[in-house]
Amino acid sequence: MRWLGATLAIAGNTWRDAIRSKVLYVLLFFALLMIATSATLATLSYVERDRILQDVSLGAIRFFGAAIAIFVGVGLVHREVDRRTIYTILSKPVERSAFIAGKYLGLVATLYALLGVMALCFVTASLAAGAPLDGGHAIALALIAIELAVIVAIATLFSSFSTPFLAGCYSLGIYLVGHLTRDLYAIGRTAESAAARSFTLWVKRLIPDLEAFNRTIEAVHRLPIPGSEVAWSVAMGVAWVVGFLLVAAAAFERRDFR
Amino acid sequence: MTDQAAIVRVAGLAKDFRTGLGLRKTRVLHGIDFEVKAGEIFGFIGPNGAGKTTTLKILMGLIRASEGEAQILGHDVRETAFREHIGFAPESPYFYDFLTGAEILDFYARLCAVPRARRVERVREVLALVGLAGAADARLRTYSKGMLQRIGIAQAIVHDPSVVFLDEPMSGLDPVGRKEIRDLVVRLNADGKTIFMNTHILSDVETICDRVAIIVQGRIAYQGVLDNALAAGERKFDVTLSSLSPEFAEEAEARFEAELSGRADRITLRVADKHMSELVQGALAHGAAIEEVAPVRLGLEALFLEAVAGTIPGDAR
Repeated sequence: MRWLGATLAIAGNTWRDAIRSKVLYVLLFFALLMIATSATLATLSYVERDRILQDVSLGAIRFFGAAIAIFVGVGLVHREVDRRTIYTILSKPVERSAFIAGKYLGLVATLYALLGVMALCFVTASLAAGAPLDGGHAIALALIAIELAVIVAIATLFSSFSTPFLAGCYSLGIYLVGHLTRDLYAIGRTAESAAARSFTLWVKRLIPDLEAFNRTIEAVHRLPIPGSEVAWSVAMGVAWVVGFLLVAAAAFERRDFR
Repeated sequence: MTDQAAIVRVAGLAKDFRTGLGLRKTRVLHGIDFEVKAGEIFGFIGPNGAGKTTTLKILMGLIRASEGEAQILGHDVRETAFREHIGFAPESPYFYDFLTGAEILDFYARLCAVPRARRVERVREVLALVGLAGAADARLRTYSKGMLQRIGIAQAIVHDPSVVFLDEPMSGLDPVGRKEIRDLVVRLNADGKTIFMNTHILSDVETICDRVAIIVQGRIAYQGVLDNALAAGERKFDVTLSSLSPEFAEEAEARFEAELSGRADRITLRVADKHMSELVQGALAHGAAIEEVAPVRLGLEALFLEAVAGTIPGDAR
């Protein structure tokens, strides 16, 4: 109960701190600009206007959501150490794992508020253009939310023991490879070299398959999205978040704050 | 004082820091031992780089000791739950400056699981205690250094701990600010709190501390009751003489290791207790007149300087 109380207090404070970040609003501005622009782009085409609008908009939400998660997430713990605010927090009856969980939840809450704004903008643009909206779009947005939670967990992990620059490089690397793991694995399976097959298998095992959270094509083309696949993606997302946070807490537990 | 229970107990505490790509180890604490007793104000003093802050950070669980034991209230400092009974105000604290004084104290009270019903009242009490009741709703970015120092102490006591650790609480304050913090420390102590104070300002230590430990280059050079330490310093005498011949002055310097000062017609010789009577007899035999004989009481500064120089006499240790 005490662990939860401390976690929520830190999460609340992280939210109040994060919503003051200028980077966040700059990226949000560009995301909204991209969604607005997609409506204009769609009018330039004679065919599939609705799909262009929704494809570009959902792509913008995914890209800028990930950018915010990485840019704000990588400084999450380091800023507290650098400003020495961590001294007064960890000298209280606060577990280090509660600190990590609180920072994580605070940023995820901030990101979800922004995701809500972007989703609202997407819905408004779709309705204004007369593009159809259905459950597939809701699932696509929900899976973007899960993907962002995984990316924040990756950024939190690297932020727990590294500088913002290095944490940014590592997180961006995992993000990029995470979107390629399925293709890499498919290529690896057909490779003649056993080492290449083994390498791609381990990449698939160690790095989350972020394409599992991408249901933009199905949503835009109004294709069915099997419930079992959605459930599997959500379960994988939750497992990766828990895994990354446990490693982050273990790394943070060993740190000296000199 | 010796009958009091030990609130802080440090035994054989050592710390190594890795340097040079982590391949080399540098030892900054060399197995230190000390105790802080219940209800006292304990001054932990030492020159820059002596290991004061490292020791304090080990006690606060911010860094891990390489060897030895450190306990507070009977708990290993690596535990977490007992920290509800201790408070810590770091040096030159930084806080979330977008919060107000009341909001930051509410945040720290939540971390310490102070019940919601009690929090508002407790925050108001503590703000009044540190003299910031009028600034409760002002954002911390508008606070002066002295006010931030006081909010630092306020967050350390918001959960009403029994032991308070202060790192350089008077650092960077003007004389009025220093006195306010000093009075606050004395008031907290009078309320029954044990105080561990890490400071450079020796006059403040001399004024309010019951016991001190002096740390030099990662080793405890002195620890004990401050009054005893200062009394132990009364081992030299200033003998002021007139009509002193230059020959005897030279002899006194060489034979009694006397330190000479003053004008030609009125010279003061500082000598150890054991040489005093011989010096006086010799001076009288050489026709000098004794003007004054006064014991020299060493201040904490002298004790500190002797500790740094490694010349603290055995009876003061």
